Amino acid sequence: MSNPSNESVITRKDLMKVFWRSLRLLGSFNFERMQGLGYAFTMIPIIRKLYKTKEERSLALKRHLEFFNTAPWLSTFIFGITVAMEEENSKNKDFDVKSITAVKVGLMGPVAAIGDSLFWGTIRLIAAGIGASMTIKGNPLGIFLYAFLFNIPHYFCRYFGLFQGYKLGTKLLNKAMESGIMQKVTHGASIIGLMSIGAMTASMVKFSTPLQFGSGKGVVKVQEVLDQIFPAMLPLLFTFLIYFLLKRQVKVIYLIVGTLAFGVVAKTIGLM
Amino acid sequence: MLISALLIGLIAGFAWLDSRIFGDNMLGRPIVVAPLVGWVLGDFTTGLVVGGTLEIIFIGIVGVGATIPADVITGAVAGTVFAIVLGKGPEVAATLAVPISLFAVQLKNLAKVINSIWINKADKFAEEGNLSGIEWVHRGGYVVLFLAAFIPNFLVAYFGASISKSVINVIPTWLTEGLAAGGGLLTAIGFAMILQMILKKSLVPYFIGGFILSTYFNLTITGVTILGVLLVVIMNQIKNDRGIQHEQSF
Repeated sequence: MSNPSNESVITRKDLMKVFWRSLRLLGSFNFERMQGLGYAFTMIPIIRKLYKTKEERSLALKRHLEFFNTAPWLSTFIFGITVAMEEENSKNKDFDVKSITAVKVGLMGPVAAIGDSLFWGTIRLIAAGIGASMTIKGNPLGIFLYAFLFNIPHYFCRYFGLFQGYKLGTKLLNKAMESGIMQKVTHGASIIGLMSIGAMTASMVKFSTPLQFGSGKGVVKVQEVLDQIFPAMLPLLFTFLIYFLLKRQVKVIYLIVGTLAFGVVAKTIGLM
Repeated sequence: MLISALLIGLIAGFAWLDSRIFGDNMLGRPIVVAPLVGWVLGDFTTGLVVGGTLEIIFIGIVGVGATIPADVITGAVAGTVFAIVLGKGPEVAATLAVPISLFAVQLKNLAKVINSIWINKADKFAEEGNLSGIEWVHRGGYVVLFLAAFIPNFLVAYFGASISKSVINVIPTWLTEGLAAGGGLLTAIGFAMILQMILKKSLVPYFIGGFILSTYFNLTITGVTILGVLLVVIMNQIKNDRGIQHEQSF
């Protein structure tokens, strides 16, 4: 599948170098350029092969040292495209080098959005939910299940993303956008992710109340009444409350501290 | 204690490097780190249970983008040390670990500030077209990041046992019980953070649907997920079938 056309200088071996280096994309992560230095580091085997003069190498390095930040698991897709563009640039004197930066800047946001919702929001969430519910009962298999559930799709996408990105160069981008494949994948992943979060909210957010009114035969247990209306209503309401506070730009750290304080108060007054 | 503290520091260092130089395989998470720490301290099972508990508390907290609200690795180390030393159950230990993880994250942010020094060097090497120079400054970043995880966790492991024992005697029961109750609610923050990212109005029924499948039908998370996958596949087929009929009618 990595069968570049006869005229191409970049071989499968070169692309595999990019693949291995892409694992270290965040190795020098910093607030100034984020993954910028890591991007240049990953492109170096390609730069070394395509450009022989000091000036050419200097320009290529500067291009790739610029600010960059995306989802690491899908980063190879952008690497594949930029490798194809650098190759084209080394052959074609009329090539507009600005387009390389433009493609990187244009892609890092959407790829981050897809990568975060697919890998972080969906696959990892499900893997962690299933794995943790096993280890909590003392079953070590949960660790391995967790690691494999996340990493099989991860390496599948990392590997094929690179070669597909390279093979189709910039063409892929337009194609994928036109056919709506990207939106379809994100939409489908969101549905699966939301259903699992729904199930996890019900089983993992621990909120029930021991409150009761009256005594003897006439006792009314509040939790029983709530369960008859809608089981696990309190965890759901609490999650929605946090969701709306987040939407109102309340900082996560305040929410964490506030939740712990709420727990202390609620426990003390007998609400929880 | 020194040797196990050093080992725990190493585990934490590599746990963070997993997301930095090993491809972000999500191995730097409580579910993986806590059992390893438990194993070093001679109580693998407690590590497993604390790992699962903390994984759920921190389920929405991952280093996505530039900033993370909590350092889950230090949280996992502290939680495991507390659970083994104090013996007050995983929930209490995990909840005590949360404030530490909020504090420890500052050190990681500091490392990301310090790493900017490599950028200046890199710009100079780029000017000279020096490829191996760039490679070396990038590797310099590994050292800074590794130390930012190694140092706090070595300290937590080395001093955590003695300090936490004296601290826990001072903390009244109502506070630890209350914190544990609050800890059971922290998971909601994680879910809300993920919802904020992927929830749209049109998708609310799927969230509620998953919730109801769990409460009314007692399905496990795996069961609900499998149903979700099937649902997406079926809906896709219906869409495609309609598309074909639509084309044929022309």
